Amino acid sequence: MSISPEWLTDDRDSAELARMLAPSSSSTLESLAAESKAITLRRFGRTISLYAPLYLSNHCSSGCAYCGFASDRNTLRRRLEPEEIGREILAMKKIGISDILLLTGERTKLADFDYLRRSVEIAAKSMQRVSVEAFPMSVSEYRMLAECGCTGVTIYQETYNRERYESLHRWGPKKDFLDRLETPARALEGGIKTVGLGVLLGLSEPLEDALMLYRHVRHLARRYWRAGISVSFPRIRPQTGGYEPPFPVDDHFLARMIFSFRITLPDIELVLSTRESGTFRDGMAGLAITRMSIASRTTVGGYHDPENNEKGQFDVSDNRSAEEFCNTLRSRNIEPVFKNWDPAYNGPAYGKNTEIHPEKLKPCH
Amino acid sequence: MDFLQLGSYSFSSRLILGTGKFSNAKVMLEAVRASGAQLVTVALRRFNRQQAEDDLFAPLSTIEGITLMPNTSGASTAAEAVRAAHIARELSGSPFIKVEIHPNPQHLMPDPIETYEACRILAKEGFLVMPYITADPVLAKRLEDAGCASVMPLGSAIGSGQGLAAAEMLSIIIRESNIPVIVDAGLRSPSEAAAALEMGCGAVLVNSAVAVAGNPPEMAEAFAGAVVAGRKAFRAGLMQKSGSALATSPLTSFLEAKA
Repeated sequence: MSISPEWLTDDRDSAELARMLAPSSSSTLESLAAESKAITLRRFGRTISLYAPLYLSNHCSSGCAYCGFASDRNTLRRRLEPEEIGREILAMKKIGISDILLLTGERTKLADFDYLRRSVEIAAKSMQRVSVEAFPMSVSEYRMLAECGCTGVTIYQETYNRERYESLHRWGPKKDFLDRLETPARALEGGIKTVGLGVLLGLSEPLEDALMLYRHVRHLARRYWRAGISVSFPRIRPQTGGYEPPFPVDDHFLARMIFSFRITLPDIELVLSTRESGTFRDGMAGLAITRMSIASRTTVGGYHDPENNEKGQFDVSDNRSAEEFCNTLRSRNIEPVFKNWDPAYNGPAYGKNTEIHPEKLKPCH
Repeated sequence: MDFLQLGSYSFSSRLILGTGKFSNAKVMLEAVRASGAQLVTVALRRFNRQQAEDDLFAPLSTIEGITLMPNTSGASTAAEAVRAAHIARELSGSPFIKVEIHPNPQHLMPDPIETYEACRILAKEGFLVMPYITADPVLAKRLEDAGCASVMPLGSAIGSGQGLAAAEMLSIIIRESNIPVIVDAGLRSPSEAAAALEMGCGAVLVNSAVAVAGNPPEMAEAFAGAVVAGRKAFRAGLMQKSGSALATSPLTSFLEAKA
């Protein structure tokens, strides 16, 4: 087995976080919340950026023990065809979505790189910001995606504990711990602007995972000084396959972890999805979290046909509509922001493939 | 009258307001009105022509007596900022462009090299260019030479509320500049805005300090008053500070000594 990189185990940088997360920590949850709130307000104001996921395909070649879409699950497999993607995006636009996350399983013949690239092209035509959460790619593949208008790549390590990682990923390309670990760096190398990191809380000892996640963020920030980095806090939800998390994480630890990340990484985007309950999400808005998903469907498709009863990757906990959720944020004095980006900032991808700024721009003389 | 002169535009208010970070557009608009600001900046990325409720541009353009200054926040290269400036001018009709190029989306520090390049191009194209820069006296002069309408050095890191931490560099920039110097970031309190104007800044731009205040319109009004006071004090001429008490045995007494 090849050796894990030194930055992953070097604990000098993460000492402050370790102090805040330790069971014996002298910082109360309330004091961490107050500090986190002040930092969030100062740096991000009274706003939350919104996005929504679109599951393109649930074909998968990996055997992740905890996932409803693993290749041994008896789930109906399908992928969205280009016209269907267009219809889904139209339905999403109708509820205001302009920032989209496209998801697939691990690379398969039916949902391979070309399929993903075509999907990004379709999404970039009418969405302001397109990110993907799919399979690890090569630098040149990421470059091609960036050139089609993809600005973000989310790739969770799931767990940084290598032994746990290798036992949970029973087969398939995802089994390679180090390859997965280096994937965000390859995305940035390929010109992707923002990478999203995270661990799937519940899989392994959460304190250890939190510290390693922090080190991963710091490592990438030092190595790629232009990189946008966001951190998500997904917690295992009931899903197809009925996996029971061996290290369940309670609300108190999750809140402590989120506040501590805000305090030690004051400038980065912290993300919370609809995996979490409405109460937890409403409470966290304005205290630390700056980006949230809304109106999520975790089935393949599902926006155009919300009556679809297929089983999703996991059960959504916050089922509120976009409008309901936004109204709650507003009543808490927080502005939901749908558009917080412009394709003008998509580097060489701009203008290749866009309906966003269709007007003929006058020459500026 | 004492005007802030930017290109051929004159403004009697020396407070410029940013429009991000507010809890909603209504509060933002109230703060803009209360501030008396005549120049207001809005990010191109917050222009949303597909969804009125999410759009900051349209409601701002209904306020009488303000000039909009789009900004390029989100750009990480000169090419992206130039492109954004073109789109923003097309959509807003404003001749002003606030050039913000921060390649690191975490700390948002301006990139001097890309900023200079974008400003050089945009000034030649006839924009009234207002660059957001670190408080670097040499860069400020280079941008003046490139044809910018002002320079906008940060008082301290954006959103930090650390006030005029860069005062020493700012005073050099002000002393040497032939165009208005506008402190653009880091102010927390009206007294800091007053201090910037007393130093000789042409104006200040404030966003976070107003947007996240308990009562944003009231804070906007407080900044407006502070800016007027600071400018008046600058024009009236501040009393010189004394560095230390006078020595009881003057250092130059030897000059009086008889041979």
